[in-house]
Amino acid sequence: MELVFLKYLTILVGLYMAWNIGANDVANAMGTSVGSKALTLKKAVILASILEFSGAFFVGNHVSETIQSGIVDPTIFSNDPVIFVIGMMGALFATGLWLQLASYFGMPVSTTHAIVGAILGFGGVIGGIHAVYWLEMGKIVLSWLISPLLSGLISYGIFSIIQRQIFYQPNPIDATKKIAPFFVFACFTILTLSIIFDGLKNLHLQIGFPEALILSTSVGLLSFGGSWAFFRKAPSHQHETFYHNPHHIIGLEKAAKHLQRVKLSSHDETKKKVTSILQEVETLSKKVAENSQFQESHTPFAAVEKIFMLLQILSACLVAFAHGANDVANAIGPVAAVVQVLHTHTVLPHAVVPLWLLLLGGFGIVLGLATWGWRVIETIGKKITELTPTRGFSAEFGAASTILFASKLGIPISTTHSLVGAVLGVGLARGLQAVNLRTLRDIAVSWIVTIPICAFLSIVLFYILQAIYV
Amino acid sequence: MLIIAKLLGKSPFSPLQIHMDKVANCIEELPSLFSAFTQGDRASLETAAKAISKLEHEADLTKNDIRNHLPKSVFLPIARASFLEILSLQDAIADQVEDIATVLTLKPVEKTAPFFNMLNQFVEKNAAVFWLVHQVVKQLNDLVAVSFGGVEAQKVKKTIEDIAYKEHEVDLMQCDFLKQLFHVADDMTHSHFYLWRKIFQEVAALSNLSEKLANRIRMILELK
Repeated sequence: MELVFLKYLTILVGLYMAWNIGANDVANAMGTSVGSKALTLKKAVILASILEFSGAFFVGNHVSETIQSGIVDPTIFSNDPVIFVIGMMGALFATGLWLQLASYFGMPVSTTHAIVGAILGFGGVIGGIHAVYWLEMGKIVLSWLISPLLSGLISYGIFSIIQRQIFYQPNPIDATKKIAPFFVFACFTILTLSIIFDGLKNLHLQIGFPEALILSTSVGLLSFGGSWAFFRKAPSHQHETFYHNPHHIIGLEKAAKHLQRVKLSSHDETKKKVTSILQEVETLSKKVAENSQFQESHTPFAAVEKIFMLLQILSACLVAFAHGANDVANAIGPVAAVVQVLHTHTVLPHAVVPLWLLLLGGFGIVLGLATWGWRVIETIGKKITELTPTRGFSAEFGAASTILFASKLGIPISTTHSLVGAVLGVGLARGLQAVNLRTLRDIAVSWIVTIPICAFLSIVLFYILQAIYV
Repeated sequence: MLIIAKLLGKSPFSPLQIHMDKVANCIEELPSLFSAFTQGDRASLETAAKAISKLEHEADLTKNDIRNHLPKSVFLPIARASFLEILSLQDAIADQVEDIATVLTLKPVEKTAPFFNMLNQFVEKNAAVFWLVHQVVKQLNDLVAVSFGGVEAQKVKKTIEDIAYKEHEVDLMQCDFLKQLFHVADDMTHSHFYLWRKIFQEVAALSNLSEKLANRIRMILELK
């Protein structure tokens, strides 16, 4: 009886964790788009809800399985499944507790690190050293180091492409129209690929990698064509907006050249007259040239950013999807472990995440977003205006592709750290006005502190729960 | 999560431009300073000099503020050293204006007409060089937006070339003046000779500093 009560309590805490993730972390995905006014707050919340939910639903199972049975070997506990249940509950409670404490102290703590640390602590101490899959654990820790580097590298690359192919071109708007469809292609291909490859299992559809690749590439190509047609129609570099257009400058220069010829070949009266006209033409031409240059300096880049607003919406969606895919596991991975044992009364070596739990996790994230997250999005949006659409797109694309890649491999990584790495990548490419490197120290400190504290908390909570229920 | 917001520090480029505007305020005082000087109006000369000193102090405060808010842990799109050098060159211009004001108040001079005419022209020419580099600094925002390259950088480069040419013109003018000064040197008292020599030297430093600043900015451009 009591264990049944515990089951519901676990589900509730899992839901709370999902709520927490939705409330705090989704802002990372949508904040920049709201800040650059590419999306209104309402639209951002709706889009984020849909994509977080589908990320959790379609791709969430990979990482959840890792959390459930990839860190600690559940079969060690097959003699006494209740210990495993209590341990997983303890880990979940410890994570929730630590997240509360950390947000009280204002530490930038990653949910992923907390839950992995908690499970590691319980498994290593209660189950013994052999209960932990150290190789798997090593892979996870390594991925925590690699993921910010990888996302930073991708973002650096994307922003460098934008610089060389757009900013440094004589006509940035036309260049954007040429380059943008490729970015759209990349976004759609990655998104479709991650959904249909191995993601439709939940809908009882199995699609192999080659087929998935072909299918997603065709979706990408379709989006390429569509966006190409769309961007082609976008207003081009408008010479009419200038005070003087370049043709005037060229015309005046030609006139000056012809006058020069007349001046050289004429004498006396004509020469005098031509000289004075020539002088007038030259001063006028200079004035016109100066005026048009001044006008030119602002318009094209604002228009480039405007086109990139649309791309940034895409990349933000990609981040929301990736975030749902990776972070839902932090909430429902342990819950899945508990529920499974309590249903079957045995510990299975291979985890299966029930569909309803993924739905519940997705629902929890959306709930967090709807009740609290929108406020955080608004705050973030106001604070990070330096992340203009071109910068935002580069950072989000790098982070999202890294997170999705890790999610597909079933590796729990910190989405926030990936995004931080991506922003740094843009900064290294001379994209940002000032990057505060001291924040990195805070991140590193809370990173290192989180794991032992969560491990310790989870052990303590395990003993408390054990004293109560066993 | 506010980490991303914390990661993006306060941009120092707008304060840099504000500092440049304060330097420009000092330059704007030059005409009234020199008209008081050429008219021999000691009282308004002193007020103008005081006003300049005050404006220079304001520029100093902004400069210190920028320096204090730029710890080693802030990563900029240009080298920190470049940024700080640009800042101190800007500030050197403000200091120079103050030096000019001080030299003018040292001693009243006789109305030596050719020099007075030349002096006003000379000041104008030097100020013109400054206004060009002021325009360059004002374009820094656009440069940051496009990562210091492309059409924007080419435009700035062209302005900087103009600055170099104008500075050269100033040099020629100064040479011309020196010839005239030495021509009449034997009829002057030593202190007057020295004062005139000093005035032109200090004013010429304005265009030199402006050109230096412009060239320092050129170094941060990403030119092909």
